[in-house]
Amino acid sequence: MPNMTNDSVSREHSRQPRLMMRYATTSEFMPILATCGLLLMVGLVVPRMGDYALEVGFRLLLLITIAEAWNLMAGYGGMVSLGMAAFFGTGAYALTGLVNGMGFPFLLALPLAGLVGAGLAMAVSRAVFRLRGLYFTVGTLALAEALRLFMINHSGFGGASGIFLSKDTPGLRTLFLMSVGLLAVTVVVMDFATRSRISILLRAVRDDEDAAAQMGVRTFRIKLAAFVVSSFLTSVAGGLQALKLGTVEPYGAFGVHWTVSALSIVIIGGQGARAGPAIGALFVVALGELLADWPALQLALTGAILILVIRFAPRGLAGIGQMIFKGRATS
Amino acid sequence: MPGLSLPDLSVIASSLASGLLLGGMLALTALGLSIALGVMKLVNLAHGELLVGGAYLGYFLTHAAGVDPLLGLPLVALATAAIALPFHRVLIRPLAGKGMEAPMMTMFGVSIILQNLYLLAFSADTRAIETPYAAHALRFGPVAVPEIYAIGFVVSVLLAMGVHALVTRSAFGRDLRAAATDPTAAAVMGVDVGRVHALTFALGASCAAMGGVLIGTAFSFTPSTGSTYLLVSFAVVVMGGIGNIFGTLVAGIMLGVLQSVGALLFGDGYRDLVGLVIFLLVLTLRPQGMVTGVR
Repeated sequence: MPNMTNDSVSREHSRQPRLMMRYATTSEFMPILATCGLLLMVGLVVPRMGDYALEVGFRLLLLITIAEAWNLMAGYGGMVSLGMAAFFGTGAYALTGLVNGMGFPFLLALPLAGLVGAGLAMAVSRAVFRLRGLYFTVGTLALAEALRLFMINHSGFGGASGIFLSKDTPGLRTLFLMSVGLLAVTVVVMDFATRSRISILLRAVRDDEDAAAQMGVRTFRIKLAAFVVSSFLTSVAGGLQALKLGTVEPYGAFGVHWTVSALSIVIIGGQGARAGPAIGALFVVALGELLADWPALQLALTGAILILVIRFAPRGLAGIGQMIFKGRATS
Repeated sequence: MPGLSLPDLSVIASSLASGLLLGGMLALTALGLSIALGVMKLVNLAHGELLVGGAYLGYFLTHAAGVDPLLGLPLVALATAAIALPFHRVLIRPLAGKGMEAPMMTMFGVSIILQNLYLLAFSADTRAIETPYAAHALRFGPVAVPEIYAIGFVVSVLLAMGVHALVTRSAFGRDLRAAATDPTAAAVMGVDVGRVHALTFALGASCAAMGGVLIGTAFSFTPSTGSTYLLVSFAVVVMGGIGNIFGTLVAGIMLGVLQSVGALLFGDGYRDLVGLVIFLLVLTLRPQGMVTGVR
């Protein structure tokens, strides 16, 4: 309704809600705007990127995706999973199976691979949620290890040597764009999960599951939702990795290093912080590039940094940054 | 072998006997995990690497110094405890009161570090501790088992009983049980809970290392063997009840036998997989089995 009066009180009245609305909409559309900006930038920057930049960029975005997925469970839901490799590997195998066996195009096979991972999460949820905390942690670790051993010993999926993708893999640039798309989906999903009612429920479950249950939160459903969404994203990431390599084998696809990467990125970056995974991934990928010739040393160093961060900066690099920023602002 | 063709009876009997004996060694390893979990609520994710560390210590004692691995066991246990005590002081103790997750993740970091340090220092080679009796077979009628399995079983059971006696009969054991039941009340009553935790951690690490020596003698090991034994140990702990020493022994033997059955039915590569599947099944079907015994 247009405001035609010149009366100052009514003008004040009409401005107040409009202002509030503007704040609300900017914060709500921020992620979408950011995503669009990112896409635009990618449209301009990607054609000029060299192979090395694409290679590192792909790895960075893939790791941010699985770190976000881990953060959703551990940072917001308090479910510390050591089974990222289970879903990553499942996605990789599912994509290869869908492309080889049914001739699906890549862009259809990727989300379907994610669905296979989500299905696996649903199937095992009764077992791993049966008891809390450490049993979830150890149960997911056992799941990843069991799947790896099964793939190594069972001859149906290529055994220990794995299987090749029957189609030619897309070029590095296409793969990079796919990883950008996956990250965009992840950012939107994470944004929904961290801003909506779900996030409050999830945090309530994390902080005190019994109290949350008594307040009427359906804790099993909330945890399941986080677990399934996280597994979906991880499996798509695994499918993308399989697409890049053009082959899957159990040691790489179900390797514990995927789990290590996800959790060290989040813990170093800042658990439960929105920017944590991105900051942590930049750090871990940079470290990996510096020590590219010594992978064992790189992992050992990551472990050491992990321990130091847990001890001295439980809120990670994001927490340190915030502290410095706030410290400056108040002084 | 595929096709589930059953081998003849003496092979089955020997394999089951081997599984039973191996189970004793698994129980010793799991014991270390179990007491750390029961007393300090520490999920020691580096347990497998401690085990492999013990195996390397035993390997170098045998191959470089010429010490028999069984005679070397006390040495390995003492050395591990001597490393574990300052380790606990620096890494675990400062995290007291910060929940279960921080120490668990710290131990995960330790496990990554150790695994890669082993890799850097000793290469990825598969090693086994060689002894004159390792390949020798013991025969009881149709049943034949490697002598080292029997030795490992006896040593493991004796050590487990030793730990049981330590926990139930000694003054340290009394403090330990008090600290496990209610750390605050124990502290009020004059128990030095921090010291008990440090010693418990060292005891757990020593159990893992001694189990590692036995496993390294009976089988082979690589820098990355640890994670499998961590999970198998967890399966045993879950089946036996946290902090329940007798239950752990029974569960270890049970799992050893079940793994042998799995290996007989599906082939030797499935041995560890069977352990993990049983673990996941126990988690699903009998979670109450996990909370019995000393908490």
